[in-house]
Order: sequence, then C-alpha cells, then structure tokens
Amino acid sequence: MPSYFIGGLRVASDFPLPGAIPQTCESAAADVSIRHGSVPMALNGASESGPTWEMAGETFLLRGPRLARFLITAGRAIVVEKEPGVTDHDAAAFVLGSAFGILLHQRGALVLHASAVARDGRTLVVCGASGAGKSTLAAALCRAGFAFVTDDICVIKPDASQRPMALPDGRRLKLWKESIDRLDLAPLCGEAVRESFEKYYIDPVDARAESLPLAAIYVLREARPPLEAGIQPLALPDALRTLDCEAYRPGLRAKIGHKPEMLASAAAMLGHAKMFLLVRPRGFEHLEETVAKLRAHWEALDR
Amino acid sequence: MTAPAGIVWLASFPKSGNTWFRIFLANLTAGDSGPADINNLDERGGIASSRQEFEAATLLDSSLLSHDDIDELRPGVYAAMAAAANEQRWIKAHDAYTTLPGGEPLLGRNVASAAVYLVRDPRDVAVSLAHHNSTGIDEAIKFMNAADGALSWSGRGLARQLRQKLTGWSGHVTSWLDQTDVPVHMLRYEDLKTSPVEGFAGALQFAGRPATTADIERAVRNADFNELRRQESEKGFGERTSRTAPFFRSGHSGGWRQTLTAAQADALEQCHGAVMQRLGYLITP
Repeated sequence: MPSYFIGGLRVASDFPLPGAIPQTCESAAADVSIRHGSVPMALNGASESGPTWEMAGETFLLRGPRLARFLITAGRAIVVEKEPGVTDHDAAAFVLGSAFGILLHQRGALVLHASAVARDGRTLVVCGASGAGKSTLAAALCRAGFAFVTDDICVIKPDASQRPMALPDGRRLKLWKESIDRLDLAPLCGEAVRESFEKYYIDPVDARAESLPLAAIYVLREARPPLEAGIQPLALPDALRTLDCEAYRPGLRAKIGHKPEMLASAAAMLGHAKMFLLVRPRGFEHLEETVAKLRAHWEALDR
Repeated sequence: MTAPAGIVWLASFPKSGNTWFRIFLANLTAGDSGPADINNLDERGGIASSRQEFEAATLLDSSLLSHDDIDELRPGVYAAMAAAANEQRWIKAHDAYTTLPGGEPLLGRNVASAAVYLVRDPRDVAVSLAHHNSTGIDEAIKFMNAADGALSWSGRGLARQLRQKLTGWSGHVTSWLDQTDVPVHMLRYEDLKTSPVEGFAGALQFAGRPATTADIERAVRNADFNELRRQESEKGFGERTSRTAPFFRSGHSGGWRQTLTAAQADALEQCHGAVMQRLGYLITP
C-alpha cells in the first residue's frame, strides 16, 4: 500500500496518489487512510450543505461532477467512489486537493490557501486565490535558491514553545504549461494533473521534510487601482481579517466548528510571523522583478 | 420599506453600461456621503462568473474542472447564494441566458426575482470593445458576430473568471429578452444616457428596490461620466484592461458614425439586423 506524508500527516492509500511523493519507509500506523469504497449519494441528518457537499457531524460528503464522491470522516479517513470510466489518477487530484483540505479542517488545523518555500531554516508563505499566481511565484523562488515546502495548501501548527511551524508536505508543485515554459522547468515536468488539462506536476529539486518556523506570510495581490505595487505590512486587525479570507476554502472551518480555536491560533501565529500585502503587476515579464523585491524584503526581515 | 432579499441579475453583453449601472447603485447606497469611490464600490454584488465564489460554494478546485463541468454546477451555486442572501444583491452577468444539456438554466431556476438587461447599439459596442481589449475594430466585430463567442474560455493558464458564453451579440440579446424564467426589464443604454433618472428609476422599481427621486437624482449626478473620468484620471480604475485607453472613454451614443467604416457597420448590420430593428437601432426604410 503506497504511503505518503501530507500536511504533516502519515497517509496510507490503497491506490497511488501521483500528486504526492511516495515515502520509502512504510509507517506502521498511518494518521489518515485513503481507500476505494462505496459512498452514499447523500448523508442522513446533514446539518449543513452546499451544491456539491453535505456535512453530518464528523462526516463530510463531497461530490465532484462526472468524477467521484468522497466521504471524509473525522479527520482520519477518505473513501472514494469513482463514477464509471474515471481513472484513479483523475480522482487522486481531488483527493489531495479539496478532500484533504476538508480533512485538515476536520482536524482543526490552520489551513491556508497558500504555497510555501523555505530558506535559512525559515518558511515564507504566499497566500492567494486560485489563479493569483502562488504556484508560479513559489516555483520562481525555488529557482532563486529557496527550498520547496508546499503548494496550494499550507498547514500551520504551533510547536511546543508555541512558535508557528509550516508543516512539511509531500505534495508536488502543480503548474500550468505556460509557467513551466517560462520558467524552463520542462526537465522537471511530470504527468498532467488531470488528463487533457495543461496543468502538470513538477518534481521539487530541493524539498524540506522537516517542520520549519514560519517567518512571514505574503498575501499576493495584483497591482491595479486602488492597490499600488509594493510590499506593505498588515496591522493585526487587518492581518486577522485577511487571514480568514486566505484560509483554504474560507467559511468551511466555521461550518466544521473550529472557528474560535482558529482565531486564537491565528492571533498566536501573528505574534511570531509578520504578514504583508505583496502587490505586484501580473505577467511573466514582471516575475523576475517581483522575486528580486520579495527576496530583498525577506532578507531584511528581523530575525 | 426595503428591497426584497435575493438576487437580481444585472445582465448585458460587455461594454453596454453594466459598470455604469453598478456605480449608480453604489452611489445610491452611498447617499449623501457620495460620490462613491469607483475603486471601492460598496454595492459590490459581484459577478456571476466569479471563480472565487464558485470555489467557496462547491469546495472544488475549479482549475481541475472542465468548463462544461463547471457549468453543470453553476445553477446550484446561485441557488446557494440566493438562499444565503439577506438583502437584495445585484449580480453582474455577462453570460448569455443559456440552458444546460439537462434543460436547467445555467443561472438556475427560481434563483433571481428579476433581471435588468442593458443593451446598446452594437455599432457603439464594437468601438468600445476594441478600445477595452486593445484590438482592432474588425476583431471586435468578429467577436460580436461569433455565435460561439465566449469570455475567459482559454485553456492556457487560469482565467480570473469562469467561462462566459456570449453566443454573439444577437444571441445574447434574444437569450435574455426571450427567456421566460426570470422577469426581465430591458433598458437601452441610449435611453439611459438621455434620461438617466427615469431609466434607473424604472429598473429599481422593477426590482422592487425603493428609492426617492431625490436619491436617484443625486446618485445619477455622482455617477456622471465626468465624475467617473475625473476619478479614473486621478487614481486609475481597477477594472480597466487596456493599457492605453481609459475605461471611461466618452460614453457617447452614436460615436460609431465617426469611427466605423461603411463596411464595418455593414458587417454588424448584416449579422444583427433583425435584433437591431427590434430594438430600434435600425430604421426600416
């Protein structure tokens, strides 16, 4: 049975997850199990629901169109029932994304919609909505000497001395073909994330396997009025509000019922890690300049 | 008396006055604290093609779904938004009014209480669209004439918004005006320019949103093109796409006469003559 290390958790899956790097050492007790099985069309006694999901207590049902249903339970298990003709490969992309994101929320983790890189033993997190350019910026930072930590979903957890740590993640970076071409990453390009989609898995050259303290969170925004290009610190109330919006699938953790704890852990985290608005012009022609500015800003941060 | 909670679609083909209408609404809300900042509009009902709202509602990664799979889910997203709305929410839509293969409207059934459909002379739309997209006018006309035309459809990278099928200018107009699911109030851009107070008042009344004439007059003044141009020249406008042309350009009606060649005007009239006639944009000899 393939095993993986995702969001700081040991994961055993009865089918391969191409978006994650297989672990060589088979762990005896996995934190999370992923398997094929039968998943109901609906949940009895659902307390919350949306167009593609239902929640009943510790059980969460997610439906992907012409794809699969995912039953996510108590932060410990994901059962997948595919629609006819769907490959494990396609289903796996959603297991590692949405389904695992929900599972992490069930565990009460602080989950950001963010990519992260590390340097000198500290983590730099880049938050942003889908399509904002997180993964491309993370890839460009890796090219500029940072190590890869995580893509798209970033789990933050305090260590014994309450320092916020970015948990290591065994997932691979995902990039659109255009970014791969522009960043000359073709040699590291793996298979498509989904068949017939121009988004591909990228193998990290240097990935971190240990938890590293979080030094700064940058919230990625496009420079268009009223925002001007630059890096601005966010004061605590703004940072807390922004952090709430930058959670992975905002609104979900309030439904799952961990909001007060999350607020406390977010506030504790901001006591250690600074948060900045990173406003930059979009487009590959500006990427190098953004990386240079971000790197200079990062190096000037207080230790 | 307040407006009934729920969704009102503010629908139009691009470059037909949708942004102007939203700025008017923002100024109506701002009241005597206006003019509203065009880069910080309080009355942000959002846009139907928002990728972020789609992901927040479905919890799915939209970048890994096909346009058609996304469309399958969109009716459910709007139903959830309508159920969650605790006030009247005017949502911009550039999508044509289409139905899914199963017969369900893309924008959902019984989701919106009303729609306001803004329409503008396609010859003026062509000029405005060319400026907005920094293209030639012929390209804009080709896009307006294409029955399979859409916004945000490219497979390269991730478009900021979800795909919006436009079905060409005529297809767009008739899709909205001839559908019978949502009561629709048609508003010609040209009439709104000539009589803005009456035009906006009619749309508000149709949607059941109360407003006094004095409130509407003030909001019209604060959303005047000169004011919008002044704000854009001072601070820019976040929704502008062209690197060269300002978003709020002239707003004039009939400007196409100075800009389009006879062949360009003819290309539009050939393709859209029937609908142009229906809307009073072509006078039959």
